[in-house]
Amino acid sequence: MGLRALAEADLEFILEDSEGGFGYPITLTNPDGDSVSVIGFSNDIALLIDPETGTAISGRRASIALRISSLSELPVRVSDRVKKPWLAAFADINGNPYTFKIAETHPDRAIGLVTCMLELYDDC
Amino acid sequence: MTIASLINKQDGFEIVRDQIAAIIALESASQQALAHTAGENKALWKMRVFTERSGPFEEWLNPEDLRGVDKSPIVNIWYDNGSFPMNKGNTVERQLHEATFNVDCYGVGFSADDPSGGHVAGDQEAAIEAQRAVKLIRNILMASEYTYLGLRGTVWRRWPQSITVFQPQIDGRPVQRVVGARISLRVDFNEFSPQAVPETLELLSVNVKRSETGEVLAVANFDYTT
Repeated sequence: MGLRALAEADLEFILEDSEGGFGYPITLTNPDGDSVSVIGFSNDIALLIDPETGTAISGRRASIALRISSLSELPVRVSDRVKKPWLAAFADINGNPYTFKIAETHPDRAIGLVTCMLELYDDC
Repeated sequence: MTIASLINKQDGFEIVRDQIAAIIALESASQQALAHTAGENKALWKMRVFTERSGPFEEWLNPEDLRGVDKSPIVNIWYDNGSFPMNKGNTVERQLHEATFNVDCYGVGFSADDPSGGHVAGDQEAAIEAQRAVKLIRNILMASEYTYLGLRGTVWRRWPQSITVFQPQIDGRPVQRVVGARISLRVDFNEFSPQAVPETLELLSVNVKRSETGEVLAVANFDYTT
């Protein structure tokens, strides 16, 4: 097995280990309303670094990182308002549930990892 | 010799800044009343007004409940800079202050499910909200009723120099959609400074008369010591 394939295989332990690692349950919902539960990285932090000045500013940035091979469909941003967007739902460490809209996706197809930047979403 | 009086007055730029904020707040309330009378959704005319704040939209950044958030546009007025042309004042008492005030308007939008189909785009909502606030504020401040911002005699004129919208950065975009727009408002007004109270040295009175011959005579009365 080459190093690249090995790196992809290691994603199972890096991203999807919810017992001994930082893997966290995430529910993905596609625009058709079909949901699937996956394990991956989830981030939801309030401190940002201003890229222009390097100083810390208050903000909130949320993201998820998933193994592409575990997904039947790659999430994308849906700009068309007549369609439902891709949604990602997960709870914070205190169990408070949050629903986010997929705002940006950054797939790394070289090693099989996709990072999604999220936006707050009111699912009514 | 020092200035005899305590300087405890507001300077012109402080008065004008606060007046701009008061006008926007007053007219926002007035417009809401007019909208209610006209059967319109008065919330579309509501704005929250602040002065000299660095992050007035902070409460939008970490809402616990999206539906409990007051999404009315936030307006922040702050004094940016001013200059004093030497040919429009005097060195003793009064100078013309050509000042720029930034009227920053912030709009927030949260993406949401649309029960009738599709979804509401938070980025578009935020931009629409910010631009709606800009529209209201420009119309309010440039209305004829506020030609001198209610400070005739102090304010010479006001003029909107520019409108700039803050485009969100692609990198580092947070989960909330907040768009800002700035109206740079130029206001020219007088600034006054403390004046020394003069001490009376002598009293001198002069009566100017014309005699029957047409000669102009001046009769002066004053005390003198020899």
